[in-house]
Amino acid sequence: MRKLMLAFSLLCAATVSANPAMEGDWMIEVKPSGAAVIGLLEIERDNDGWLAFVEGGPAPIKIDGNQVAVDIDTRDIRGFVIVLKLEGQLDDDRLSGSYTVQSDAEVSFTPGTWSAVRFVAEERAKEPRPVDISGIWKPAPGVDFRKYSMDLTDEAEAWHANYLMHYDQPNVRCVSPGIVAMVAWGGYPFEVLSSDKRLTFLYEVDSEVRRIFLDDREAPEFYPGSGMGYSTGRWEGSQLVVETTHLSPNVRDFRGEPISENARLEEVYKLSEDGQRLSAVITLHDPENYKRPPVRRRAWTRNPDTEIYPYECDPDSFYRQMYNENKLDMYFERSKQRF
Amino acid sequence: MRIIGSIAAIAALAAAAVANAHHSFAVEFLEDQTRTIEGTVTEVWFKNPHVRYYIEITTEDGSTESWDVRGSSPTILVRRGWTPKTIQEGDHIKVHGHLGRDGRKLMSWIYIELEDGTRLGSEY
Repeated sequence: MRKLMLAFSLLCAATVSANPAMEGDWMIEVKPSGAAVIGLLEIERDNDGWLAFVEGGPAPIKIDGNQVAVDIDTRDIRGFVIVLKLEGQLDDDRLSGSYTVQSDAEVSFTPGTWSAVRFVAEERAKEPRPVDISGIWKPAPGVDFRKYSMDLTDEAEAWHANYLMHYDQPNVRCVSPGIVAMVAWGGYPFEVLSSDKRLTFLYEVDSEVRRIFLDDREAPEFYPGSGMGYSTGRWEGSQLVVETTHLSPNVRDFRGEPISENARLEEVYKLSEDGQRLSAVITLHDPENYKRPPVRRRAWTRNPDTEIYPYECDPDSFYRQMYNENKLDMYFERSKQRF
Repeated sequence: MRIIGSIAAIAALAAAAVANAHHSFAVEFLEDQTRTIEGTVTEVWFKNPHVRYYIEITTEDGSTESWDVRGSSPTILVRRGWTPKTIQEGDHIKVHGHLGRDGRKLMSWIYIELEDGTRLGSEY
């Protein structure tokens, strides 16, 4: 993985004869043999050439005339890093081309083609038109890049440099990972219970319960911070916009980038016309730690045939391994570093 | 070997079970090194966050080693028909998977082969 990241970081961003029309926001779609993934590609001018960001994280770019090459680092569901190496061209205000897959691990992500069109932010209606999203929802495959590296502040970089993924991630010791990580996880369904003033999300993972208040209330004074935070929602047209505050310091994903107690999570949910697919754009606003907000995109399909299963967790085997390897002292000495 | 329900059905349902990790085992396991080991199950740990089977294997020089073999969340496996009774203490199993880092006797399974040749899980 080190070799991969080194090659990734060495890719230079300079160019001399780039077509200025490359600049702007693009909605990019990458098409492997399995489900396609989508994300926002931002291409910007810089004093030394060009910069690009995918879903808020840096993506080294080279532009020469109408030709473009972008590297997007992602991870698979096991945590193995994959670099998608895109090459293509600008033609008729559309980017398209092919890509290869680079990883030290055997991964299921296949090479394929990609394309990008100009991103135009969708205007959401102001008049509420609530739709029925109650039911059990099962994660759909693909959807987003799981962008690996993010645009961290210097303070966040410094904190993250001392993070040990295996020992410090909350859920390895059976502590709930919190809503920011949980909402983007695959593998587990969740159930929505609806009423006029409140939505209740029941997550299978960690048996977490989340109340989303729809009645314009504010959190009580002294409401404590937690991994699940305090959520309020509103309908903008038929889209549900959920804002979550009162988060406790936590980590965003496997990689362990920090989340501050002042962070705000925004989720925008949209139901398909046939009512069978729920999708969400999930944005973490936390300028203390991120120069650009990290974005995830998830989707779920309606699945009335399943139930929410119990989720019980026992950290015994996690501590047993450290005991066997004489690492318990090290683990507890790191307690102050751990959220 | 105990066979609970239809093992063939379990094998089909359990395909790609390894793909459901919810914490990074890339930290603990070598992405580019796999191995196959076989031995006798000495303990079944069928609990979140991850199922573990402890197995004892006999090495070429005749000595024994205890290995910690790990896979997906039990919640996900159970939904596919892979239950705590599918593999039990005393069963002889063959495990193919990623080796643990630093020479530790850890393995993240890609598939487990039962005594009757049935494979649970799939090549990633």
